[in-house]
Amino acid sequence: MERRKQYMNPYLAGFLIGLFMIAAYFFSGEGLGASGSLKSVVVAGVNVIAPNYAKEATFYKSYVEKPDSLPIKTWLVFEVLGVIVGAIISATIAGRLGSEIGKPPHITNKTRLIAAGVGGVFFGIGSQLGRGCTSGMVMSGMGVLSLSGFIGLIAIFGGGYMIAYFFRKLWI
Amino acid sequence: MKRNEIIIVAILLIGSFWAFTLDDNNRYRNETYTPCELVDLTAKADKFITPDELAKRIMNNDPSIVLIDLREKKEFEIYSLPNAINIPIKNLLDDQFNPVLNQNTYTNVFFSNSSDLASKAWMICTRMGFKNNYILQGGLNLWAENILRPTAPKQTAVNAEFVKYNFRRAASAYFVGSSVVDENNGNNGNNENKTAAPAPASKKKKDAAGGGCN
Amino acid sequence: MGPLFPLNLIGEETNLIIGFFIGIGFGFLLEAAGFTNTRKLAGVFYGYDFVVLKVFFSAAITAGIGIYLLSYYGYLDVKEIYYPQTFWIPTLIGGFIMALGFIIGGFCPGTSICAAATGKVDAIIFVGGAIVGVFFYSVTFDAIWAPIRDSGAMGKVNIASWMGISQGLFLFLLTIIAVMAFFAVTIIQKRVTSKRDYKL
Repeated sequence: MERRKQYMNPYLAGFLIGLFMIAAYFFSGEGLGASGSLKSVVVAGVNVIAPNYAKEATFYKSYVEKPDSLPIKTWLVFEVLGVIVGAIISATIAGRLGSEIGKPPHITNKTRLIAAGVGGVFFGIGSQLGRGCTSGMVMSGMGVLSLSGFIGLIAIFGGGYMIAYFFRKLWI
Repeated sequence: MKRNEIIIVAILLIGSFWAFTLDDNNRYRNETYTPCELVDLTAKADKFITPDELAKRIMNNDPSIVLIDLREKKEFEIYSLPNAINIPIKNLLDDQFNPVLNQNTYTNVFFSNSSDLASKAWMICTRMGFKNNYILQGGLNLWAENILRPTAPKQTAVNAEFVKYNFRRAASAYFVGSSVVDENNGNNGNNENKTAAPAPASKKKKDAAGGGCN
Repeated sequence: MGPLFPLNLIGEETNLIIGFFIGIGFGFLLEAAGFTNTRKLAGVFYGYDFVVLKVFFSAAITAGIGIYLLSYYGYLDVKEIYYPQTFWIPTLIGGFIMALGFIIGGFCPGTSICAAATGKVDAIIFVGGAIVGVFFYSVTFDAIWAPIRDSGAMGKVNIASWMGISQGLFLFLLTIIAVMAFFAVTIIQKRVTSKRDYKL
């Protein structure tokens, strides 16, 4: 905590992330993603707790029907495990590891945590409806020049600028 | 701007300019179709399969034929071709049907009442890069007209017309007969055939294409 | 030649291990770029920090150019890789819902996982919320989402051919726009932060 290193140059970080994205496509044919792993967790959890429900409900059916595709042993889940390890390594090197609540000074901890939870719920719903989140759908989609990636970009960031004003108290 | 920022921006500009100088048409052939190519493909006549041709292949027990009914489930349950599978057109790109459509082994024949849903499905699937898709010409209407209720040609017609008519009568007996047998057999064996999708040609390929972050 | 795994050139175990290491690189860079700092992320919407835009565009453009060149010279078969299909209606609606989540929660799933791993309590709550959101989506799937999810299907659409231009030209224009945006946001950021101190 005492010695916080500077953040990496954003262009360099972006360039290197781009190279990792190319590697992901070249080796595995997969895009970098995150929300898919959250879905895997939910599907696997529901499958363990209520297997009968999972066999019936439309949303789960396609994931649990195929016995060899048990949703937890997927490329994306391994990739996200890597993300966790990578983040910890970087934070350790930079001295940023440690329990804290990231927020602007004028916001109380309680407000920030409630907002984070509510935001998470929205993101969870949106990422399922939109077939992926900012990394899996927009960034990876843009990488292969898929139209959906650019629609997602406009929706997420355009939508963000449209509503930013109403939530400015949370941030500035 | 700092020095490394300039270097990265320069790499991106040079890279994209390099890409810009390349001609999409000369490239290694592995993309989805461009609109022009799609129009060319559409113009080719061999995307249709006639009811006669289809009847012949079914009667010969051609194992590569997969019949895909694009109508709603209700219509499908009332009547469809023998052993057809039902993919309502609005669900065409659902993950669960990907193994059926995205494959190289079988010949998929799309049909609906006429041929317009089938043409749409063909267009979408071709754009997706899926292979071996055909449209049943005239759909079930022409099928019923030609195969199930063939009309005799006029006496003055050429010989070939009679050959065709005789074939259609035989086909009619085959299909009308077989659907009677189906009803007698009840639901046991047949239902399974109706819903069973063909095994995917190569499992791993499917997973990669259908997976990702959604 | 590529992609290696879908063409069965490497085994499943190797593939998962590669995925793990690629994830390490991705997570490392996200953290190093400051994506675990929720104020830096939200800054892009309020003009005081554009790190999201800079990282995001340089990554997407790098990947776009690289993948295009690899596929042009036959090293990567684009048909075999994950290529998001376009369903424009759910993508647009889902995108707006995600925008709400982004502004209110201050993270997106990838950055929240990184931040949660480095001990940010709000990020842990965000991940929990996202799991609740996915679960909520799953139980209300038939009632609310099923009819929307598959509407507006267009198949795999390449944006360049959709616009009727070559992919190379599209990439070139995108890069020029991005570089101009990089300059513009640097100026905006200077102006906004000079008015008020946003100590991060």
